[in-house]
Amino acid sequence: MRPFRHLLLLFLLVPAAFAADPALAGRWRLDPARSTALDGWTAWDLVITADGSRLSLRHDMQWRYTKVTATNLVDTAAPATVKDFFRVEQRHMALYPAKGGTTTVRATWLDAGRTLRVEADTPIEISQGQANMRLYYEYRLIEGDQSLVLIELHSTRPQPLVYRFTRVTETK
Amino acid sequence: MKLRLLFLLVAVAAASAAQALVQEDSVIARLEPKKVAHAPAAATLVPLSENWRMDGDIPVHALLISLQGLANRDQPRLYLEYPTHWQWEIVRPLIGFLEKRHGVKFNRLGVNDAETALALYVKHAKGVVVWDGSVRSSLIVAFTVAGVEDLVVITADQLPLAAKHGLPVVVDLRGKFAGKTDAQIYQWAYDQYFERCSRDYYVVMGGHAGAEMQPGVADFGIRQRAFFTDLSSNPKHPEELALLNKILGRQNVPSIVLGWHSYAKDTEGQHTTLVGNYGLIMEGLHNLPNVSFTSQIPLTPDFKFTNNHTVKLGESRAAEKKVYIAAVATDAMGIGTWTKPGRGKIPYTWQVLMNWAWMNPPALQYFYEDKSPNDHFIGGLSGPGYMYPKAIPADKWPALTAVGRDLMKRLDLRILEIMDYSEGNRHVGNTDLPKAVVDRYYDQYPDATGFINGYGSARTFDLRGGRPLLSYDYYLSIERPVEEAAADLEELIQLNPQRPYFLLMHVRESNTVEKVADMLGRLSESVEVVPLDVFLQLAAGAKTYRTYHQQPTDAVDHNP
Repeated sequence: MRPFRHLLLLFLLVPAAFAADPALAGRWRLDPARSTALDGWTAWDLVITADGSRLSLRHDMQWRYTKVTATNLVDTAAPATVKDFFRVEQRHMALYPAKGGTTTVRATWLDAGRTLRVEADTPIEISQGQANMRLYYEYRLIEGDQSLVLIELHSTRPQPLVYRFTRVTETK
Repeated sequence: MKLRLLFLLVAVAAASAAQALVQEDSVIARLEPKKVAHAPAAATLVPLSENWRMDGDIPVHALLISLQGLANRDQPRLYLEYPTHWQWEIVRPLIGFLEKRHGVKFNRLGVNDAETALALYVKHAKGVVVWDGSVRSSLIVAFTVAGVEDLVVITADQLPLAAKHGLPVVVDLRGKFAGKTDAQIYQWAYDQYFERCSRDYYVVMGGHAGAEMQPGVADFGIRQRAFFTDLSSNPKHPEELALLNKILGRQNVPSIVLGWHSYAKDTEGQHTTLVGNYGLIMEGLHNLPNVSFTSQIPLTPDFKFTNNHTVKLGESRAAEKKVYIAAVATDAMGIGTWTKPGRGKIPYTWQVLMNWAWMNPPALQYFYEDKSPNDHFIGGLSGPGYMYPKAIPADKWPALTAVGRDLMKRLDLRILEIMDYSEGNRHVGNTDLPKAVVDRYYDQYPDATGFINGYGSARTFDLRGGRPLLSYDYYLSIERPVEEAAADLEELIQLNPQRPYFLLMHVRESNTVEKVADMLGRLSESVEVVPLDVFLQLAAGAKTYRTYHQQPTDAVDHNP
């Protein structure tokens, strides 16, 4: 019984440990040459911070002089309801966040805390009215924790969007 | 008494209507360069090199461009052949067109051959203005001086050349502006020359900044004796903005703003908004070449502007339950893809710069005669010239829309494209139109069979009296790979489930028709690509889009 008890303890403690200091935390800069073409933005920093089970996914976007910052807050302990859920690719297509709409977001740690899975059901304003989009994201640590790959799937898109980021150190 | 009052009201209304009609003719008459009876039998052609650096070939280019403005003042005499990679790609095809259709025989000189050009045309200049090679803005001031005083623009190194041709130094800007800000430099120019400059033309000599300058439009500005600056419309530069406001406020309404904002100082949105605030007309290309030459050449007598209309006026068509796509290129007539492979392969719509009807007739004739059966033309952008309707005060609309209606009629255009980035762009704020602005378009363009809106995607949709207003659902950027763009369209088609679905696509600049055709060929669902007039006609009969105007709660960003 003892080994099983230890395993159970480990199983319960590990997610909390990830949440306390996830390796994913930090500032990540898009590597455009190794990513799906990003339309309309010339730069993208992803800033991930953790507070317990709650994670902040901040997007610092830039196109020429225009700078936009948008944050999605998720919680690995329970589904979260988010207003104005931010999608990166949303302005070259007439797919806007529905006004007043809320997005249900579920977040889970996978792969011993090296992957964050985020799933969202978001209402979208379209030219014909309103529609729903299911989004699936995996934020995966790779290459000695200095690189991050973000895989994004849409229920309405035939192929994934794959973005690669490099960790930004203080000196960069 | 009542009858007398009624008579008075009728008389006032009739006078107002007559005034509107008079205004429409008189505005273009006031702005239009005088046409020669026919194109010249012979003209000089000088090829220009690829180097447009301030420390490179700009001095000789500025000399030739200023000489061109003076030599072409009363007749078209001098044409400059810009290099192969010049943004306005029609500069070279137009040479062949002028030869073939207008019978012009060009006498070709050597590359950058200022020596021979001066020998031929020195009589049109009274002397030279020397700009200061260490102060970039002094060249922009020199363009103003050149137009007002009839002077060729040179640097100190070119003084011997000027002397050889007997050109005295009339104005010397060397050392005058050392340590001064642009606001101070242009204020000096304003104090010295503005009163003698045209109230119908102002040139913002921006675009490329810093080490490079591409002053292709300067010949025309010099010919018209325009005031030149590259003043900023950015609130971060209050002194420059204040002077710019003063200049724009002194121009006739409506009148022309030539050129483009400085890439180093402000944004397209800021500049176009400010110009619109004054009810002025922007012709926005700083490197548009040879207009001093082409603006004087009339259409050939056998030519009439004729569009490819697939839909007859009054005809109605029923849409099937499928996806319809219309592809529209806005910036692309001249700076994009007209000459690239694929044109004619699929139905395609091109936005015409309408003022070229009077400002650049040979160029428009070239496009109209070169069109394939699949090329359809529409008017734009938002009116006569590039303008943001939300930025234009309501009382300044009638004069502009009168010109717009006139030009659409002349050019056989039935659809008007609208764009407004005064409160946002593809990234922030909104690009939509409030109902009051939409009302104005429907009221003041009664002959338009439909409107389209946006540049990036937008949300404004309407349908009145069988005339739809549809916004772009998709913006195809230049960099977007074909496979991602096809996936984008698949996603839009998936998310808009009703059929017919009207997917309006804006194709930016140098995206080729070939790329668009390739992209559309990859779609899973069967779609029909149709000309825009068919697209709007079908959309008039099957309203599967929701009516939407800009709402007070929509995000606004005034300075994107």
